[in-house]
Amino acid sequence: MNLTSFSDFCAQAVKEGMLFYYTGEYSKNVIAAMSDTLRHRLESTSLSAPARRKIFSTFVEMSQNIMHYVDPDQDGIKVGALAVGHNQGKYYVMCGNPIRVEYVDRVKEKVEPLRSMTVDEIKSAYRAQLRNEDHEQQDTLSKGAGLGFLTVARDASEPIEYQIVYRSERQEYAEFYLRAAI
Amino acid sequence: MQDLYIAPTAETPEVAFLFSEHKLTLQGESYPENAMAFYAPLRASLQSYLAQLSAQHPLEMHFSLKYFNSSSTKLLRSLISLLNDAARDGKQIIAHWYHDPEDDMMMEFGADLQDEFGALHLNVTPYEPA
Repeated sequence: MNLTSFSDFCAQAVKEGMLFYYTGEYSKNVIAAMSDTLRHRLESTSLSAPARRKIFSTFVEMSQNIMHYVDPDQDGIKVGALAVGHNQGKYYVMCGNPIRVEYVDRVKEKVEPLRSMTVDEIKSAYRAQLRNEDHEQQDTLSKGAGLGFLTVARDASEPIEYQIVYRSERQEYAEFYLRAAI
Repeated sequence: MQDLYIAPTAETPEVAFLFSEHKLTLQGESYPENAMAFYAPLRASLQSYLAQLSAQHPLEMHFSLKYFNSSSTKLLRSLISLLNDAARDGKQIIAHWYHDPEDDMMMEFGADLQDEFGALHLNVTPYEPA
């Protein structure tokens, strides 16, 4: 990237209200540093405590998804992207990460239904999953409680959005992008 | 049984399981990447303590968590479930679930626990604003 493109990139980020953007290696240390940064930024706003909790929660769920589910690349690195910003009266949290092509349908099946649910339906799906004692047997690929996307959807103030992007460089992978507005 | 104390970190709550005083507290935030690794030992010690707790000794447990991630959620629920089982077996247990007074979602979460675990005396209380 040359300086002109970089300054365009920065100007675009400012225009879109981006508070921070990270792309690259995901590790415990990176998440800890981002958590600190986000906390400080949120504390300096006039947001209510619940709104701050929701933004932070969405950031944590997305970051931990990347840590749990992204395959390390040839150098053993897990790569992901994450952005937090404020635009048109709402905060947004977005993430992007590689996903194995064979898991695309699995992710779509989890996310797509959440998009058309009402707030009450999301809450009751959340409650049902919280009480589901058979989750580990039913979903052996899951590394948590099966509540991650539900938590993101519950804390969002409009339907979550996602995109699957296919690029040619690595055929066995697609890219998964998720956006929540709070 | 030996008391269990774990100092808080950015991602894990302070654990003060004062078994000798029958007073157990979890306080702070809970969003470790591997929630199971953090909660499995807590669950195990709570379980063995409850097994030997006599019905004469009232137990107080306080959950004061400002924020917890999705994987901690399920494990917190499982601690409450252990308390509920013990209460059903006739042990005297009072649990307190504290939430941000402004945060309806966290209050509902506590109310859901009350609904689900009917044998347990569970108070859902707003904590004092800082």
